[in-house]
Amino acid sequence: MEQELFRLQQEAEEALRQVDDVAQLEAFRVKFLGRKGGLLSGILRQLGTVASQDRPRLGQLANDVKQAVENQFEEKKKLFVTSSIGTASGVMDYSLPGRYLPFGKLHPVTQVMEEICSIFEGLGFAVAEGPDVETDYYNFEALNIPKHHPARDMHDTFYITESILLRTHTSPMQARIMEKQDPPLRYIAPGKVYRCDSDITHTPMFHQVEGFLVDKEVSFADLKGVLTSFTHKMFEKELALRFRPSFFPFTEPSAEVDIACVICGGKGCRVCKRTGWLEILGSGLIDPEVLKMVGYDPDIYSGFAFGLGVERIAMLKYGIDDIRLYYENDLRFLSQF
Amino acid sequence: MKFTLSWLNQFISTEGLTSAQIADKLTMLGLEVDSVEELFVELEHITTARVTEVNKHPDADKLTVCAVDTGTEIVQVVCGAPNVRTGMLTAIAKPGVKLPDGTKIKKAKVRGVASAGMLCSARELGLSNEHDGILDLNNHLATGISIAEALGLRDTVIEVDLTPNRSDCASVRGIAREVGSFTGEVLKPLVPSVTPLTGKNVGYEVIIEAPDLCPRYTARRLTNVTIGPSPLWMQQRLTAVGMRSINNIVDITNYVMLESGQPLHAFDFTTLQGGKIIVRRPTAAESTITTLDNNQRILDSEMLLICDANRPIAVAGVMGGLDTEITDTTTTILLESACFNPVSIRRTARKLGIPSEASYRFERGVDPNLADSALERAVNLIVEYTGAHADGDGVDVYPGKKSAIELQLRIERVSTLLGLALSRDQVANYLQSIEFLVTAIDETTLAVVVPSFRIDIEREIDLIEEVARLVGYNEIPTSQPFIRMDYPKRDDLRVLRQETSRIMTAQGFFEAINYSFVAEQHLDLCRLPVDDQRRQVTRLLNPLSEEQAVMRTMLLPGILENMLRNINFQRPDIRLFETGKVFLQQKADNLPEERLQLCGAISGQRYPNAESLYYSNQEADFYDIKGVVTNLFQVLRICGTGNASFFQLDPARIPPYCDPACTALIMDGTTMLGALGAVHPETLKGFGIKQPVYFFEIDLEKLLVLERKQKQFAALPKYPSVKRDISLVVPDSVPAGDLLRAIHTQQQKYLESADIFDVYRGKPIQAGYKSVALSVTYRSATATLDDQSVDKVHEKIVNSLMADFNARYREGSEE
Repeated sequence: MEQELFRLQQEAEEALRQVDDVAQLEAFRVKFLGRKGGLLSGILRQLGTVASQDRPRLGQLANDVKQAVENQFEEKKKLFVTSSIGTASGVMDYSLPGRYLPFGKLHPVTQVMEEICSIFEGLGFAVAEGPDVETDYYNFEALNIPKHHPARDMHDTFYITESILLRTHTSPMQARIMEKQDPPLRYIAPGKVYRCDSDITHTPMFHQVEGFLVDKEVSFADLKGVLTSFTHKMFEKELALRFRPSFFPFTEPSAEVDIACVICGGKGCRVCKRTGWLEILGSGLIDPEVLKMVGYDPDIYSGFAFGLGVERIAMLKYGIDDIRLYYENDLRFLSQF
Repeated sequence: MKFTLSWLNQFISTEGLTSAQIADKLTMLGLEVDSVEELFVELEHITTARVTEVNKHPDADKLTVCAVDTGTEIVQVVCGAPNVRTGMLTAIAKPGVKLPDGTKIKKAKVRGVASAGMLCSARELGLSNEHDGILDLNNHLATGISIAEALGLRDTVIEVDLTPNRSDCASVRGIAREVGSFTGEVLKPLVPSVTPLTGKNVGYEVIIEAPDLCPRYTARRLTNVTIGPSPLWMQQRLTAVGMRSINNIVDITNYVMLESGQPLHAFDFTTLQGGKIIVRRPTAAESTITTLDNNQRILDSEMLLICDANRPIAVAGVMGGLDTEITDTTTTILLESACFNPVSIRRTARKLGIPSEASYRFERGVDPNLADSALERAVNLIVEYTGAHADGDGVDVYPGKKSAIELQLRIERVSTLLGLALSRDQVANYLQSIEFLVTAIDETTLAVVVPSFRIDIEREIDLIEEVARLVGYNEIPTSQPFIRMDYPKRDDLRVLRQETSRIMTAQGFFEAINYSFVAEQHLDLCRLPVDDQRRQVTRLLNPLSEEQAVMRTMLLPGILENMLRNINFQRPDIRLFETGKVFLQQKADNLPEERLQLCGAISGQRYPNAESLYYSNQEADFYDIKGVVTNLFQVLRICGTGNASFFQLDPARIPPYCDPACTALIMDGTTMLGALGAVHPETLKGFGIKQPVYFFEIDLEKLLVLERKQKQFAALPKYPSVKRDISLVVPDSVPAGDLLRAIHTQQQKYLESADIFDVYRGKPIQAGYKSVALSVTYRSATATLDDQSVDKVHEKIVNSLMADFNARYREGSEE
């Protein structure tokens, strides 16, 4: 009987190895472990026939063998049990596609705009939005751009009436906020802006984020510091920055900010027109005239302001080469970001 | 503003600097260089060569066979030029070289004779129209050098994108002055000396009747002028910077304008009536003038004119008149060099629609002190190149003469605003490098006299910018501002938009952004009645097209256009949403009301892009979009006023662009928040969409004011629940949801929840009725419920449903 037990154990282990589906596993269980006709159960029942002095030893042995086979069976069963829960057909094929619920995405312009806002919010800037349809006063006059100023040429303006227009930049928010609050102020104003211009690099509507900070003794060095921090965060790289004199009627000194071309790394390519630099934003210290117009004393307060083109930054970040794609809302485009 | 390096070098030496270095320095000074272009690079490989032998071609009378010394070898070339002769130095394009027109020269046989290259005419080299013979070059030049070098053509054109404040740099000299700020070289004068203009006995008179618009007018007469072409070097410079050559007088006025920044105009003196130049506004009788481009221009009372004794002869600073134009027979001219009011010129040029190089400069401001020296420069050139005789005197009327501006500059202010400590002497040096006169008032203050050409400098801050520019922005350190800590204000509408966007994307929607301006026709496609508020559009005065002519009053049309595009590009299963402003023009001449709205739409398959392996064809329908809105409200934890459902049916208020059979309103009590349902088939047809579209629109500002459920913990139930099902047959007109609401309003003991799990119409249910199967869950917070207690409550509920809805139990035979 002892030999019979060992032989049965071997036979069972071999049979279990051969099992490779749930049906075979069940057949194995019936053959070896079945409560009625199972071979191991059968041998246990034979215990009654052995000599009584051998019974405890053989009983123990028979139980051990049965336990060992049962354990192995349970192990094997786990493989099949997990897979038959996991797939409808009972057999898992890891290479078949997963089943998922649809998930949408934000427009790339929104993604980049939110990223810009969150970087500045992290620096303590508040976010405010203003009207798209704006008065000539806030869009131009309050920003030191009187009627017939040549700087108006820089803004191809859509007019509604002689004194109402679609804002050409988000800068009107400077005046709107400053005339209601006293320094210190830290604000960014994201939003849509409009210019009557349409080609491969211009759409008549695009997005800007305006930002400004006003307090005592705010300097050009502060402007450089904040914009450098922002750029490094935005492009996730310590890109070289270049501040270049420019002209905006509402800032003085005014600066355009260039970053080392993200495409060629500054060596010169088609995107950066071989200069190695890409213009990403306009900025400057807020002109004393603008401060005076909202009732601040420019000898006490100073501040800086900047404006970013969101589409441009998204283009640089994601390598988008045609600005018009933004407003076609083609799912093949939207799903890429 | 374009200039060439050779022209620049006429006023300042740039020795030792490459064109790239100059471009970089200018850019960093705020004169952004747009392009740097080497001229005549196409002539680099065409070289000088000497003809050493000329023989007749054996088979052609007009051809010759020449031996040509290219400097490195002697080659045989067949030539057709009549002027070819032994010993002549000319230009050769050797095989492999391209002519400026793109023709590639090859080794060839001309009528049986081998020819290794081509001797070139001026026209073939793109130098002029001359094609009577090959180039006949100065015999002293070496052979084998580039034609560009031999003719002194090598030059570089640099284009600067000028900002509107730097009118002083709209001239070669202005740029040269800036170059001087970093080379330290001294700017050369425009003319060696200026003839004093007394206006006495000159034979004509200048009267400025509008001194507010014309601060200065200078003029000089030249006689014995011969009109003809200007010298080649001048033509080349003008061409290089993009100006067309006309004749010697026009070319010289343009040349001096580009060089000095002073626009000039020449009148044919003999056409001037009454010996008078009068600068004035038009009289009531003067309504038009014919300008030299032969267009009749309508005048208005605020335009400034140049007139003779009887009539207008030019629109000041904008364009000359036809009657007094220089012609081929002109022999006596009056040359004008004047200064006009920038705003007036800008207004006039705009109104007449004739922007010109002259008006460009006047609009931005021309230095009135420049008029006499620029006049002198032009007179000198005309005398030199046309053989004319200049009057020894001329007129200079200068009613707008101003003393120079003197500003105080506080050194401490410079340092504070720039964040860079500079000494008084450093600041003084920077300003002196661009011709500012600087004297020290005390240790910390400078007195600065602004040169007249810097009309943009009026305030201390302007000087500070100059210092920053000259120091170099990149030399200014970076620092971080110190500012009091303060929690930034939160814009609730913006936060709501972020939340709704997140919920929409989580439900499989992609965000769209559409133009704020749309076609007004959208409103017709949406079948809006004439009196609909959304027809009160904000209209653009100058739209780019009819498609973008009015500000949108709804979001749906944009989404429908996006849907069509995606369907056309074989993406028919779509979930899109847009959060954006609509513009409602409540009152003409006011700013429109801007409202933030949310619009979402579904079309095609319920699971867009899903694996067909797992998902059978399932077209999205009304309940998909309703589920989206329900989810949105739930996640936002919005609770309506009272317990009413947010979804209501009111046929009278269904929007006209909705299918009336498949639309519900989104309501809070009596306030309409929006609508959801199927887009009306007519509207779909109008947008060219051939598949059903389900959408919703919600006014986010109305949503913002609704109360949100506070997050409040409720203890988890300790005792099991009991479920009872009811199957009722009710008239078709009863909304199934009303049954649920009726159950809840009874507020019976133990009632926890109720759900609909089946709705069935059709046999064996009688027509006009439907079967609704409900599952009601009961639970007690204090004990395990027994059947008796549940039955009691359940019976009450069932009975009241039967009574209220004219319902009956679904019979066994109906199973």
